[in-house]
Amino acid sequence: MSIEKPRPRIGPDSAPFWNGCREHRLMLPVCTACGKAHLPPGPVCPFCFADAIAWREASGKGRISTWTVVHKAWFPAFAAESPYNVIQVELDEGPRLTSNLIGGTTPAIGQRVEVVFDDVDAALTLHRFRPA
Amino acid sequence: MKIDAAIVGIGCSAFGRGLPDSQLRLAYAAFKQALADAGLERKDVDGLSIHLGWPLGLDYDRVAEGFGLDIRYVNQSWLHGRFVTNALQHAALAVSAGLADVVACVTAVSFTRERGFLGGPGDIEGNREEGGTHGEVPYYGLTAPAGGAAIAMQRYMHLHGVTSAQLAAVPMSIRRHALGNPRAIMREPLTLEAHQGARMVADPLRLFDCCLISDGAAVVLVARGDHARDLRQKPVRIGPMQGTRSGRDEFIFAPRGLGINQQSAKRGRARERDLEVFGQGVARDEVQGFYTYDAFSPLVLFALERFGYAGPGEAAAFVQNGRIGPGGALPVNTSGGLLSEAHVAGWNSICEMTRQLRGTAGASQIADARALQWGTAWGDSVILTA
Repeated sequence: MSIEKPRPRIGPDSAPFWNGCREHRLMLPVCTACGKAHLPPGPVCPFCFADAIAWREASGKGRISTWTVVHKAWFPAFAAESPYNVIQVELDEGPRLTSNLIGGTTPAIGQRVEVVFDDVDAALTLHRFRPA
Repeated sequence: MKIDAAIVGIGCSAFGRGLPDSQLRLAYAAFKQALADAGLERKDVDGLSIHLGWPLGLDYDRVAEGFGLDIRYVNQSWLHGRFVTNALQHAALAVSAGLADVVACVTAVSFTRERGFLGGPGDIEGNREEGGTHGEVPYYGLTAPAGGAAIAMQRYMHLHGVTSAQLAAVPMSIRRHALGNPRAIMREPLTLEAHQGARMVADPLRLFDCCLISDGAAVVLVARGDHARDLRQKPVRIGPMQGTRSGRDEFIFAPRGLGINQQSAKRGRARERDLEVFGQGVARDEVQGFYTYDAFSPLVLFALERFGYAGPGEAAAFVQNGRIGPGGALPVNTSGGLLSEAHVAGWNSICEMTRQLRGTAGASQIADARALQWGTAWGDSVILTA
């Protein structure tokens, strides 16, 4: 069994998102035709179907829309942190992201949060959120 | 093309945890029993519809080769519980269209031996670039279907003021159905205290909100209506149906509008276009029992809301006071479902529905059962009729 934590699979559609995290910028795909941002990153706008995506830096702020605290030790690599939280954040731009809440408090739905960046290693930076 | 199909034979292996048998051996026991039940022979089966393939289950070509079948129609979906309805629908469509005479829906699972695929480092489901289809994001520690059910139920509880003790009515009611079922793995009564005192898996889901990790097989044989009338059993008709809902407003483990992943956060009553199953000759108030994929207890609430048995946020109240238990107004999963009988990916419930409509369900028999609904939290459904 692996004791490494899993890593995201990064492909052509999501690479700008993860490159942004490495620069400590939360980037979103935004449609230049209808103005809407979407997640998870796709090549075209799921709202107006236009092939006109531009990557824009997001505010990094949002609200917790749901959460869980994981007790079951599915991953040996997470055992030291168990139990740990997982949150979904509704960004002020609209789309939702899954992440972790740092700072040691139990998440609450509606709680305001802001992004922080965690440099895992030279190749990967993960976004996390802290109370705003 | 009009669908004209019936379930003509059912068979089950023993159900258990840690069974030593291979999936193919489990399937053999169920297959032989289904053939005998129908009065058919192996050579009569010319179609396979497979819900769960390798590694938890069996792929169609392994079944065909291992059992020496000569197959002319196959359907197989990706390894996921959501396709139970899909597999039964494909069987019904295939026999109606003449693509096969008898389709065997074969489900054989060894969850205990292969449980590493269900979550953690071996969970390939969660490793999609955009995350897993139950919301898995392994690099943040969210893995396994339970994670998706947990984040959905957490928000549902917040929005609608529902408690874990109310949710407990689901596994407690389904356990009561299992008490009289000799095939069921869980045959001890489940109390509220035991539910509330059990370990947390992923908040708010406790141990008994999560289905069994078990082994077993079920085979369901489907034939065209005229053929079915000539066979040994009273045919159980595969009646009204509707397909899986998918789109940006859908999350596999949530009703519409709950606000999970990219769903809208506008809750509302089930739309007419999502209730088409009730417009084909059986009205909702004619349904005498409801059967659903109870992998996690919240899915029962979400399925009841999907099909309009309860309004948004009202299913938790709906399931109280024995309404879905034995003798209730709408019994749910009368053999014990995935929560208490066994996790045969819902096919144990399809077999139970068949027994009910034949009038051979024994202790769990619904009086004069004529119309029973299978419907899932992701919006697909089949109504079986006597």
